[in-house]
Amino acid sequence: MILSGWESVFFWVFALAALVAGLLTVMARNAVHSALFLISALVSVAALFVLLGAEFIAGVQVLVYVGGVMVLFLFVIMLVNVGAEEREQELLFNRTGQTTAAVCFAALLVFGLFYAINQARGRFASPASEASPAALAAREAALRPGETGVARISEDTQRVGASLYRYGGLPFEIASVLLLVAIVGSVLLARTSKQELAADDVDPEVVAEISAAGELKPAEIEEAARAHAAEV
Amino acid sequence: MNIPLTTAVALLQGSLTANMKDSLQHPDISKFLIIGALLFSIGVAGVLTRRNIIVIFMSIELILNAANLNFIAFSRYLQESGNLNAVAGQVFTVFIIVVAAAEAAIGLGLVIALYRNRETIFVDKIDLLKW
Repeated sequence: MILSGWESVFFWVFALAALVAGLLTVMARNAVHSALFLISALVSVAALFVLLGAEFIAGVQVLVYVGGVMVLFLFVIMLVNVGAEEREQELLFNRTGQTTAAVCFAALLVFGLFYAINQARGRFASPASEASPAALAAREAALRPGETGVARISEDTQRVGASLYRYGGLPFEIASVLLLVAIVGSVLLARTSKQELAADDVDPEVVAEISAAGELKPAEIEEAARAHAAEV
Repeated sequence: MNIPLTTAVALLQGSLTANMKDSLQHPDISKFLIIGALLFSIGVAGVLTRRNIIVIFMSIELILNAANLNFIAFSRYLQESGNLNAVAGQVFTVFIIVVAAAEAAIGLGLVIALYRNRETIFVDKIDLLKW
């Protein structure tokens, strides 16, 4: 596959944007800035997906990652961020030795991956005729025209859907169960002691522990027990 | 120091070999793989160097995205080599995005539970199981 003309300009713009935003994600002092840079990196990668002809995946990337996962990240940053890094009370990176070793490792990884890609490069090259304007026009003419007659309709989404349901039906169902388990798990993990006391199967030991830790007043524990009894 | 921009561009173009210029003007699939490799390495460096556990999670998202980019690039490559229905790479990417969402939900739930109990989000202070 070979890009040409404006496609290659957009490729370089979005590729550089993704790399710079990725670097800034790792380097930023404020976690909120990190999250915003990660959003820019994800949007740039979505643009690269569009250049690769995967419009559906680009849409999913923007909707699920940027609209869902990153909002979750920002909420958690709001809940827990103490701002100590920003006030320079806490170090940003690990101890110098570990940081140096990690950066060396990452550099070695880059060299190794570049070497591997370079080895296989000759096989990736498509015939040069593919990039010619005539070939591009022919590729576009093969697509169905839209209602206005100006644009063409890509068949990518249709193919992905057919493939997903024809060959990936079982993994699809397993993925839905995985999401359910993740929702239940995170609700369980994130509940407070008070919410824990209100559960029906609470262990007496847990009650003793919570009152010993002094997190809740005895009156609050009794109230939670009474509320639970009323529910039953 | 007042080199006009056009001259600078011309000089830059002159210094590139014809081969390099062609590969810059017509990026092929290996360029996408290189971007994926760089994003992956940035993510690995982030996981190994940062102390803030939330930024470590974000670096993991970066790593997963680099893998997605490679999947999509190879899927496109397979489509180019004849079979237009070879979209297994794109299907796989959908599943990776699902798993990333589940991972983020669980991981961030753990972070909240951890912060409630230990009052810290720095990985080198979370050492209850160490020694």
